Amino acid sequence: MGSNNISAAQIRDDYDRRVTEAARQANEETTAATAENQDPEFEPEPEPESPEDKTKKRKRQQAIERIKKTKEFARRKARRTGEPDDDDDWLANEIADEKARPAPGQLENCEICGKRFTVTPYSKAGPEGGLLCADCSKNQAKGDGKKAPPKKRAAGPARRQNQSKLLDGLTAHGAQSLLEMCIKKVAENIEDVEEFGDLPPPVMHRLSQILSRRRAVTSRILNLFLRRNHRELNIYDCAHLHTDDYHRILALMPDLTKLNLRFVTPMKDHIFEYMIENNKSIRDLHLDSPNLVTDDCWREVFVKMGPRLHSLKLWNLDAAFDDKTAEVMCENCTGLERLKLKYIAKIGDGALKAISSLKTLKHLSLCFMKETEPEPLLQVISSIGSNLRSLSLEDFKNADDLLIQSIHDNCHSLTKLRFARNDLCSDKALASLFHNWSNPPLTYVDLHRVRDVDMSNPAGPPEPVGLASDGFIALMEHSGSRIQSLNVSSCRHISREAYETVFAENKQYPHLRHLDISFNGPVDDYIAQCILRCCPALTKFVVFACFKIRDLKVDKGVAVIGTIGAKLTVEGIVQAETM
Amino acid sequence: MRAHGPPSRHVPQPVEDRRLRDLHASTRTNMASPTSEYVTLVSCDGFEFIIPRSAACVSGTIRRMLDPSSKFSEAITGRCTLETLTGIVLEKVCEYLLYNEKHKDQANVSDMDIPPELCLELLMAADYLDT
Repeated sequence: MGSNNISAAQIRDDYDRRVTEAARQANEETTAATAENQDPEFEPEPEPESPEDKTKKRKRQQAIERIKKTKEFARRKARRTGEPDDDDDWLANEIADEKARPAPGQLENCEICGKRFTVTPYSKAGPEGGLLCADCSKNQAKGDGKKAPPKKRAAGPARRQNQSKLLDGLTAHGAQSLLEMCIKKVAENIEDVEEFGDLPPPVMHRLSQILSRRRAVTSRILNLFLRRNHRELNIYDCAHLHTDDYHRILALMPDLTKLNLRFVTPMKDHIFEYMIENNKSIRDLHLDSPNLVTDDCWREVFVKMGPRLHSLKLWNLDAAFDDKTAEVMCENCTGLERLKLKYIAKIGDGALKAISSLKTLKHLSLCFMKETEPEPLLQVISSIGSNLRSLSLEDFKNADDLLIQSIHDNCHSLTKLRFARNDLCSDKALASLFHNWSNPPLTYVDLHRVRDVDMSNPAGPPEPVGLASDGFIALMEHSGSRIQSLNVSSCRHISREAYETVFAENKQYPHLRHLDISFNGPVDDYIAQCILRCCPALTKFVVFACFKIRDLKVDKGVAVIGTIGAKLTVEGIVQAETM
Repeated sequence: MRAHGPPSRHVPQPVEDRRLRDLHASTRTNMASPTSEYVTLVSCDGFEFIIPRSAACVSGTIRRMLDPSSKFSEAITGRCTLETLTGIVLEKVCEYLLYNEKHKDQANVSDMDIPPELCLELLMAADYLDT
């Protein structure tokens, strides 16, 4: 520093000198001013032309000019960014006024009551710029209370709560229903509840959902849900329950028709044996991760209970449940209408072949862990497709255009179609699926991640793979009139032109409530606005990684999820940044 | 008059507010008009609550009771007797109905305060009233 003829000490000294000079000058002015005001009889009517006044003005002007050069001024100015720049003079004036104030400890006359008092750092400035005594300060503060600008609320739990609600697709507007409020309150105070009394099953279901989400279902709380006269039991988190608890469920509710339990790891063979003996009316069995149950036991369950089962949903099985068990299941479950098998490690082509024989199925949902061949899946569609109301196929990596063709040829009564996570099917096949399809319009379509993945060629092959422009246009032409939920997230080869065509001015999708277009790069402000115009019923609009959405005007009741740093205007009110 | 529940509970006192009494009188006189602006909700133990019709109709059950086309006696007199609700619970229900009315168009409304000892009964009431 020294080498450049700059010395920190010198800079500081210079600065101090300037500051004290300014302060002295300002002090001189105030002493002059107070001297004038000393006499209470004296009416301060300064002649505007008096030379003395001019000097004062000039001096003050100089002081202000000096203040404008100080660091303090720069700092304050920086703090006030965003306000018009012509505030400079006003700000400098403010600083000059502050400097002109007597320092704490001095004596001063109160501006309002004229009483003499000792100045403290807390003394308030009066309306004319002078200082006020303690009492008058207090009175002044009362009046000022309302004027003080409300402090900007720190990002706290409320903001988090709102974000959490938004991600759940709930736009907060108006009060919640009294029922929902009470259910939440009961869930909060569940430790103090001894008995639920005569709560109706839908309320019990909602309570179970909330308690499960909070992972609060213990043996004691389970007791509240065990009611002899209820026909169904839904517990979404059984992780805290023990083997005995399952016995209790089955023993205390022998008339159960629906048993829906998730995370049931401690459920063992002998519980199923008890169920076979004791619970003769179970028709809907939904179990997530009963991993200690052996294949032998599963087969026995299907042999004994199979014929009366209406729906069977199993998730997350890796230790047992193989193709052979699946065959036994299909042989015996002769009345099965609804089947869901998700994340089951050991089943594959054999299970698919067996499922082809389930002629009564109306709803089928499959997501295997093993890779399967295309043929067995084709067989499933060709033999039972015509009866299906909903079809959900996830992670069938080897399914190709033939499958899509088969769905077109065989399925005629679908309302829900999910075909997700596949990179073999071509856009052409998907477009022809929806062209001249005898199936009525779908209400639920999920084609997420049906697209080509090639890091070296992000634009995709010339013949588009996955759901791209033509497929998307055909889909909306076929199902637009009835569609309620659409997920095309990651289908990134849908072009901007296709969006413009689908969401053109004359198009309307009156029932579309949930739309997910995450990772669809071409969507920008204009397209998003077109989408909002064409979908009057939209409540949930998911746009993760649509970076071109910067400024969106949204109607009340639409939850826009996943924008980053975009300006959202809800009915003319700009929302705080969402992420 | 009977007091229900544990003794710790707050039992609502009949309101002595003169304004309310006048209002009460006016609803009594307006009994015949099915479109009166206010309606009376009566609990099983005889407490009466007079609230705006628009607020009361947030509840599906009360709305159907008061629907003029139904020709129910409630619709004709503008007076609903809720035999299943005690005064304590009905007071809270009315509080909610007005709270709902007040926050109709606001965003991010915080939940109304519900005393924990009341929430199960209130839950049953909410289920019955379809609110």
